[in-house]
Amino acid sequence: MTSVALRPGVKLARFRDLTLVPVIVLLLVVGAFANPIFLTAGNLTNVLQQQSALALVVLAEALILISGKFDLSLESIVGMAPAVAVMLVVPAASNGFGTELPAALAIPLVLLVGAAVGAFNGFLIVRFQLSAFIVTLAMLIVVHGLHLGWSEGKSLFKVPESILFLGSTTFVGLPVSVWFVIILFALAIVVLRYFRLGRALYAIGGNIDAARAAGIRVDRVLWGVFILGGTLAALAGLLETGRLGGISANQGVGMIFMVFAAAVIGGVSMDGGKGTIFGALTGVLVIGLVENILSLVGVAPEWRQLIYGMIILVSLIISRVVGGKAQD
Amino acid sequence: MKIGSVLAGVALLGTLSACGTTNTPAATGGGGGKVGIDHPRADSDFWNSYIKYVPQMAGELKVETLNPTNSQNDVAKLVNNVQTLVGQGARAIVMAPQDTGAIASTLQQLESKQIPVVSVDTRPDTGKVYMVVRADNRAYGTKACEFLGEKLGGKGKVVQLMGALQSVNGRDRAEAFRECMKSKFPGIEVFEEPTEWDGGKAASMLQTRLEAHPDIKGIYMHAGGVHLAPTLQVLKAKSLLVAPEDPKHVFVVSNDGIPQEFDAIRKGEIDATVSQPADLYAKYALFYAKAAMEGKTFQPGPTDHGSTIIQLPNGLEDQLPAPLVTKENVDDKNLWGNTVG
Repeated sequence: MTSVALRPGVKLARFRDLTLVPVIVLLLVVGAFANPIFLTAGNLTNVLQQQSALALVVLAEALILISGKFDLSLESIVGMAPAVAVMLVVPAASNGFGTELPAALAIPLVLLVGAAVGAFNGFLIVRFQLSAFIVTLAMLIVVHGLHLGWSEGKSLFKVPESILFLGSTTFVGLPVSVWFVIILFALAIVVLRYFRLGRALYAIGGNIDAARAAGIRVDRVLWGVFILGGTLAALAGLLETGRLGGISANQGVGMIFMVFAAAVIGGVSMDGGKGTIFGALTGVLVIGLVENILSLVGVAPEWRQLIYGMIILVSLIISRVVGGKAQD
Repeated sequence: MKIGSVLAGVALLGTLSACGTTNTPAATGGGGGKVGIDHPRADSDFWNSYIKYVPQMAGELKVETLNPTNSQNDVAKLVNNVQTLVGQGARAIVMAPQDTGAIASTLQQLESKQIPVVSVDTRPDTGKVYMVVRADNRAYGTKACEFLGEKLGGKGKVVQLMGALQSVNGRDRAEAFRECMKSKFPGIEVFEEPTEWDGGKAASMLQTRLEAHPDIKGIYMHAGGVHLAPTLQVLKAKSLLVAPEDPKHVFVVSNDGIPQEFDAIRKGEIDATVSQPADLYAKYALFYAKAAMEGKTFQPGPTDHGSTIIQLPNGLEDQLPAPLVTKENVDDKNLWGNTVG
């Protein structure tokens, strides 16, 4: 069956992408009955905006999972990268480091910090041959620890306008953050399906030795994927900061569970080599719609977590039944 | 969160090496001795202010303390930290158990060793405590309800951004607010959002609620440190961040009393906050720990510092005053939010 995933354009492979579509349709119908506001453009736009940061981290994680690796530290980058960039820019009176770098550098700094963490992960995993799970688990703690230590646990309330801009501005009817998600996912879908580099990720995740034998520069590609993952997580942090208007000391904490839930119900395999970016996107949509419906319906707060978990389980089952293949 | 264990570990190493010679924990008598302190977390603005006040107040009250530990909102770590503090010879313990049920057996052990416990901010469900130092969290909810009810003229829709339901403080605020709205302002409809002290969840829930009910006119936030920035951002995106005189204004009442809330009140972005006294929490935690080591006892009734001690089944509770801060008194120098940077 792996050959199916390797050959682009084959019908079965595409079908796997669509296993969550019935779930999404079902959620749309349920939502429409539950609350008349649900199907309005305003509400659905909100859902997209609320999930845009999650979506980018899922994109990053999906790329890494498809390559057969693992990155737990992404959630800490979501908080730490923008926090460090902001602290380098704002004056010490607003909890900054006192360096007061020009505000124009803020966004490049955010991305640079994310890329640096990704590069360090890649160094330990690819060059040093350490277990990706343990390395990134440690890095999850280290990166969040840097965030807590440097910020002294304080929230950053004074954030440069340039950082808020991306997460809080609207362009042609949609929030800029949603445009980012659309463009980046479209790009990733095309590259992974039709480009040599994209196919290399599947090859490496499916069988790393075969990929190496086939002449793919495995180490270089993997390292690049980790750097890209870190950068995307930092961008997600940037969008989240814009949406929330500040950076709390636990921004991103606990997010990685939702990231894995979205990727896996979207059909991305934890073992590497299988799954699509479009599938991961449908996973994000399911999670976003469930959260929105639960809020609109006004489920009693103490039961909300249970229902949330149950819906994720049911989505998994539906996607298994429709997809017809064993999940892994 | 996860860094907590690391931080606590570093703190432990420091204290262990610093106190090689200690007397046995069960030793009694005399007024001297060190106080062992565990902080509940290091990632919230309120608690960071409290943590900063502790050494300052210890100096003023001449209380000797061991190096504080930090349990990072995890009751298992709290139990370990307390054992370590006792092992280092703590004669009294100051803690703030965020899980008020699971701390019971630790309190029993401390009682059997005759080590008095001062619980800050939370009231343990069972297990002996010498004193609970806490503001009346039900009063926060009631004050917020009365303020919003009057501003809205007793009708309309309000949103309550709640904390975590497993926290007694979140529950107290939520229940008091709900009950007060029901009895005093039955014309006001209340929407409740379980944000779990999470800014991202708060923003999503508030945004969704405002989309469905654009006529929402009031918001009660359980924690300014977490909810302030996301709420302002959502209101701004909806062009609802306008002066209180504007009919479009949404009235916002917060909780905590951190400097950023005061700034927002001065700018007219929010209307009020309940100042939870971080300075008094630190001061009276140490005050009672010292009194306990000196063998003093207290009775229910009014105190000399403007608060009231009430009787609990398992000890006493000093309910410190928590003033409502509005535009009128936001520059009051006695508010702790005006004394920190």
